[in-house]
Amino acid sequence: VQPPEKPLQAEEWNRLRESFQSPEVFEEVMFNSMVRCNSPIDVAKSLLTHVAKSNGDIAYHLLLKYLALCVQQGQTSEIRDVYEIMKIRFRILESGAYNLLIKGLSNSDQWRMGLTLLEEVKKIMIPSRTNYESCIKAASRHQEMNLAFELYHEMLAKDVVPTLDVLQAFFDFTRGMKGAELQKELFGILLYLRDNQIYPHKTFMRSIKLWFESIPGGNWRGHLTNIKDSGQCPVCNHQLEDSELTEEEYNNLRERIIRDVIHGTDTFRKTSPQEFEAFQTFVENRLPFDIVIDGLNVSHIKPRRLQCENLFDAVNCLAKENARLLVLGRKHMLINSSNWKREVMKEMQNKADFFFAENISEDDAFLLYATLRSGKHCKFVTRDFLRDHKACLSDSLTRHLFRKWQLIYRVNSKKMFLSLFIQQPAFSYDCVVQTTGDTWHIPYKDFFEEKYSYQVPRKWLCIQQQ
Amino acid sequence: MQSANVLLKKIVRSSVLPFAAQHGMKKDLFPLSRTLSLSLCLKQDNSGTPSEKLDLDAWKKVLKSGLQEEVSETVAEHKELSTLAAARETLEMWRLAGRSVPENISEEQLKTFMECPSKSAKKKYLKYLHLKELYKKNDKRKMDEKRERKLEAQKEASETDETKKNSLVCLWANAMDKAYSWRAAQAMIFGQPLVFDMSYEKDMSVREVANAVRQIVFSEGCNRRSVDPFHVHFCNLKDDSLYHKEFIKHYRGAWDKLLITVTDRCYTDIFPKDKLVYLTADSPKVMKTFDHDKIYIVGSMVDKSIKTGVSLARAKRLGLETAALPLEKYLLWNSGAKNLTLDQMMHILLTLKDTGDWKAALEFVPKRKYCGFVSKPVHELKKTLNLINTLKLGKRQEEVRRQFAKNYSKKLMQK
Repeated sequence: VQPPEKPLQAEEWNRLRESFQSPEVFEEVMFNSMVRCNSPIDVAKSLLTHVAKSNGDIAYHLLLKYLALCVQQGQTSEIRDVYEIMKIRFRILESGAYNLLIKGLSNSDQWRMGLTLLEEVKKIMIPSRTNYESCIKAASRHQEMNLAFELYHEMLAKDVVPTLDVLQAFFDFTRGMKGAELQKELFGILLYLRDNQIYPHKTFMRSIKLWFESIPGGNWRGHLTNIKDSGQCPVCNHQLEDSELTEEEYNNLRERIIRDVIHGTDTFRKTSPQEFEAFQTFVENRLPFDIVIDGLNVSHIKPRRLQCENLFDAVNCLAKENARLLVLGRKHMLINSSNWKREVMKEMQNKADFFFAENISEDDAFLLYATLRSGKHCKFVTRDFLRDHKACLSDSLTRHLFRKWQLIYRVNSKKMFLSLFIQQPAFSYDCVVQTTGDTWHIPYKDFFEEKYSYQVPRKWLCIQQQ
Repeated sequence: MQSANVLLKKIVRSSVLPFAAQHGMKKDLFPLSRTLSLSLCLKQDNSGTPSEKLDLDAWKKVLKSGLQEEVSETVAEHKELSTLAAARETLEMWRLAGRSVPENISEEQLKTFMECPSKSAKKKYLKYLHLKELYKKNDKRKMDEKRERKLEAQKEASETDETKKNSLVCLWANAMDKAYSWRAAQAMIFGQPLVFDMSYEKDMSVREVANAVRQIVFSEGCNRRSVDPFHVHFCNLKDDSLYHKEFIKHYRGAWDKLLITVTDRCYTDIFPKDKLVYLTADSPKVMKTFDHDKIYIVGSMVDKSIKTGVSLARAKRLGLETAALPLEKYLLWNSGAKNLTLDQMMHILLTLKDTGDWKAALEFVPKRKYCGFVSKPVHELKKTLNLINTLKLGKRQEEVRRQFAKNYSKKLMQK
């Protein structure tokens, strides 16, 4: 339905209502379309008046929709009135109403009322991130930075993940302000980005840059740049942090993978204890490997060729540099078949070590174990993103470690014809926000949402103090 | 006098009141005229000319009026609300806001609601309760309608007809029950065992266990009604387990009279290992024929989250043979997981046992999961599938393939 353009009289509303196919929901549908079309508030009021006069009451959900319309148009006095009415009529409000009220009031000069509402919400539930966002933005808009930071820390303490908008607001509204305390807080936000591997988008990055450059007496200068493959910043010649996992992280990751991915809730789900033990002794006797190959995965690279030929090419290509290879496969590869020729298999076994798992076992788990056991220099070859194994890891910190390790150690084999393996240059530097005290390096994304989570940004903001 | 009064009333009605008032009215008529004039004025005020301005804030007055007295009460109560009561109030408000929230919620459900770990979990649980309530209400309504219709029919029948003479009438259900029990008892002695493995409680949520038990109850029912029932075993069923509690909830007193074997022992302790076959969708082996000498095991597990290989792991651990239904071989699979519900499994196994006909048995696979039965040789099917795929993906794939071929020949020439 199309909402009318002018306030209507009672009869006119009645007429409209009767012409509507299901009159019971007429008001609701009408309000919905008013919100959608952003109708003038007077039209909504006239409908409310009509409803109130004919029923003597207005249902809560209609009030809610009217409130949504008011918030949409920033009608502060109306928002207040609706709040007054709601408070009288109902003992307690629900999250939808609070969301609207907080949002509406925070954008007005009565933003402090939004704060009291936030307190009310806290009594019944954990406020949502948008609730906090509205309040923090309102507070920082009015230069109450202490209050804003207090709210920010509160939401972090409650495990509510801040929106990028909130973080950006801090940089926007403190531009040009002085104060060591303030600076510390904002550096804290940058470190939050670092700890959670969040990359700011372009506009956010610009806010950061402007803030740095606006610090009175700070003499900060920012430049946009691309980091060289060697990990050196072309602007300040600073060497970025090494991407290698620390010894502790590495060991930690290995332990967790054995515990969560290979054993999980039941060792039998991916392998069997006997098999895993056999594999462990096998690996232990032949350590260390340089490259571990996922035999079955690699053998499917070119669907037109025989699977054993694919694998043969891969092994040949990688064996050249005198590297110690381990190929993981399944037992069915040993049975002479149209895809797996016995002679080819024999020849390969001269060049690399092979381990054949049971046909129903998961060879990926073995791949991870063998690579991690061999040490930091060892790489593995597969096209698999191993997402299902990452998902088996029980906490997000380890999942991050896994991803970082995967990014570095995965040799990506591209589907190029006859030139079998082009190794994707593994980053030698760590792609996170980092600082040395007088420099900051911040990777950023071009767009707000970038499609692939496994891609790391290549663009950087270099900030240095002169 | 009377006639004059009537006339006057007429005059008043036709709203020439001012005229009448001017012309010296009788005193006892005045009150009447005054009220009339007042109402007239009001009417004019409200709906007279459309150009007149509407009082747009009138609704606020309406809402605020008549509530002033209540306010004082509510404010006093406002303070101490226990968390449970507060949650209940919030739910009520959500319901008013038009969310899917149940109308009535028990104390226990409210506690489960509060214990939900996240907002989305809470929402899901409420929606579940809401739907449950709706179904219940609908069922009740239908029952009532049915009862009414029955009563009416009875009334009509009593008016027209006397009692019929039929010796079978009332005992039908009872006799069937007896016949079924007799068959089930026979099966307890001579029947082929079928095992339900009840060892997955720790892999399931409370609701999944409830669903699993419901499915088992269904399967037990259709087994009882079949011509040649299985001898059903519930193995690994601990006495105080969730499964057990749910079973009692479903069967109540009948639980102890069921003609099945319930035990807390494992099937490997009861039957020889080489006769056991664990049915699991993850099995690499595909069942070819139904073997009347084997003892099939069905895992009593409902798996709403994705936990692959749980039952396969169990069979591996115990060193048992496994098998999967030949779904791929007989059906053109469309979508959905290959694990079937327990009652579907039971139907399929019963049909296989009686007829050995895969087609008839696999009729019990839900229709949405497959497109049709395989009728042509497999390679022909693959061709059509490829065709469908190329049509779906457009000609891109074909092009890529051609490109490859081209490059390949080029490289060969270069050599």
